[in-house]
Amino acid sequence: MKLLLVEDETGLAESIIGYFSEDGTVCELAGDYGSGSEKICMYDYDCILLDLSLPGGDGLRLLEELKRMDKQEGVLIISARNSLDDRLKGLNLGADDYLTKPFHLSELKARVIAIVRRKQFGGSNRVIFNEIAADLLAMNVTVKGVKITLTRKEFDLLVYLVANQGKVVSKNAIAEHLWGDEMDLSDRFDFIYTHIKNLRKKLVEAGAKDYLKSMYGVGYKFGSEE
Amino acid sequence: MKLAQHYNRVNLVTSLIVLGLTGVIYYAFIHFILSKQLDKDLLIEEDEIREYVQTYGKLPLPGDFRDQKVHYIIVPAGRPHERRFEDVEYRNDKEDEIEPGRSLETVIKVGDKFYEVTISKSKVESEDLIRVIFLITLLVTAVLLISLIVINRFVLGRLWKPFHSTLNEMKAFNLADMRELSPAQTHIDEFRELNTAAATMASRVKEDYKELKSFTDNASHEMMTPLAVINSKLDTLLQTESFSDKQGVVIEDIYIAVGRLSRLNQSLLLLARMENSLIDDFGEIELYSQLEQKIRQFQELIELNGLTVTFAGEVKSIRASKYLLDILLNNLIGNAIRHNHPGGTVMIGLNNGGLAITNTGSSQGLDPSIIFKRFSKADTSEGMGLGLALSRQIAVYHGYALEYRFQDEKHVFSISF
Repeated sequence: MKLLLVEDETGLAESIIGYFSEDGTVCELAGDYGSGSEKICMYDYDCILLDLSLPGGDGLRLLEELKRMDKQEGVLIISARNSLDDRLKGLNLGADDYLTKPFHLSELKARVIAIVRRKQFGGSNRVIFNEIAADLLAMNVTVKGVKITLTRKEFDLLVYLVANQGKVVSKNAIAEHLWGDEMDLSDRFDFIYTHIKNLRKKLVEAGAKDYLKSMYGVGYKFGSEE
Repeated sequence: MKLAQHYNRVNLVTSLIVLGLTGVIYYAFIHFILSKQLDKDLLIEEDEIREYVQTYGKLPLPGDFRDQKVHYIIVPAGRPHERRFEDVEYRNDKEDEIEPGRSLETVIKVGDKFYEVTISKSKVESEDLIRVIFLITLLVTAVLLISLIVINRFVLGRLWKPFHSTLNEMKAFNLADMRELSPAQTHIDEFRELNTAAATMASRVKEDYKELKSFTDNASHEMMTPLAVINSKLDTLLQTESFSDKQGVVIEDIYIAVGRLSRLNQSLLLLARMENSLIDDFGEIELYSQLEQKIRQFQELIELNGLTVTFAGEVKSIRASKYLLDILLNNLIGNAIRHNHPGGTVMIGLNNGGLAITNTGSSQGLDPSIIFKRFSKADTSEGMGLGLALSRQIAVYHGYALEYRFQDEKHVFSISF
């Protein structure tokens, strides 16, 4: 996967690049409007992560430029601007998604993967991890070809964890992904525990390996340990 | 009352009073002058009779000519010689009418006899004169008043036209659209000044609005960016080493604090944006299905606390911001579930006039005067004390009223549309 990150905040940019590049993803950085525009012109990417407030110009203009060039890159806007008109403007201009800062890197990755999947396979909606396969449209999961029944939340959780395979995903990130803002943090951790427990049980009972590990009480990691 | 109407009323009343007074004074003066004239005529007549008596030693014949009567009565001697003027009725024999008149009584000595002489004159002519003058005054008054009304109606209406067009422009003025105020051209100084002032104000307000909007945006950006950095660094930290469970607890606490900080920041910005009316994604929302969906959303929490949730209502559409309504319902329903005791109940009632959320909970009522204040919260609450302040602000933003009451051991939050 080849990504372009247009972001002026170096601290954040470093973290994002670090998070993405571990599994072989190439992630280039443009620190301002000018270099962003140049890179968009010269190269092709799978997805562009676009900050809106950039030195040298508004990120939305970069988006316009991109659409004028008729490029097919997926665009994910990452912005601290949480006003509705910015969000609508961004999406109307052809952005695929809009993520408000602050966000969890795992959330960012899940969204980027979703965008790239939509763009690349043109309608293939399957997420496959070893013996586990999830169909995103039909919302069903098979383990070694045998269908298992998951609740909506368990399904979302599985897709989220698979997108962040090999990473420690914090409980906070999971909670925000599954419930958004509607619940206080204190409400959510018990539910996460329940959902994780059920998901793990269902997968293992259907014959999958136990890929889910609790990490230091802070979060969970999904992945085959070498 | 309209200005013109008010002005007209004052104008009319003043004109009527002044003209009425003028009429009265006019009448009194003319009446007085004419009476004096009449009295003088009567005295001249008396003088003539006296002269006649002196010359001929007898009274002239009592007569009745030219609206004048002379009449004698013999009176005993010793009556005081007093001259008296009197308003009397004058009988006009020619026209056989009773007319107002004026008479002079005096005593004249002829030889050794005393005669009381009464000279009376008809006042009808002077009365006629007064009437004519009065009628003319009345006519002038009427013409004046009618012309005033006509002027007010037609001329004032036209004069005020630029004012009304400016007013309409100002009414249609909307901060969100970037149109400038363009009032009608006028050659009247006051209105021109008004137009200039309105245009200046509008552009200043627009400027302030823009500044405010960019301030809100900047504040959001400036605060959210470091938070995003902290969050991403934490996520990165989590990938690096293996931690002990003790370190894990510390990291989790930081996560929670950062989460709270960013939510607090978002709430404050939302309050600020609402205060400045910066949220305008209004649309028709069907509340019944919206509430059903919210209850489904909270299902896990409801089940965990073993609550019974009942929902009764009718289909009701409101015009609201979807974004804000979502926050409002989350807050109210979330509170009703969270501040409940295990096995308690939540009742949600929706009708055409309002929405009421009733829940069991602590047996003590809350103080309605402080719960909607910012950063006020119960000791047992884990929140930041912004939820209800935000909820009320959202209600006010939509022109609704959000109220709390403690009734039959239950907490009731009601919104009236």
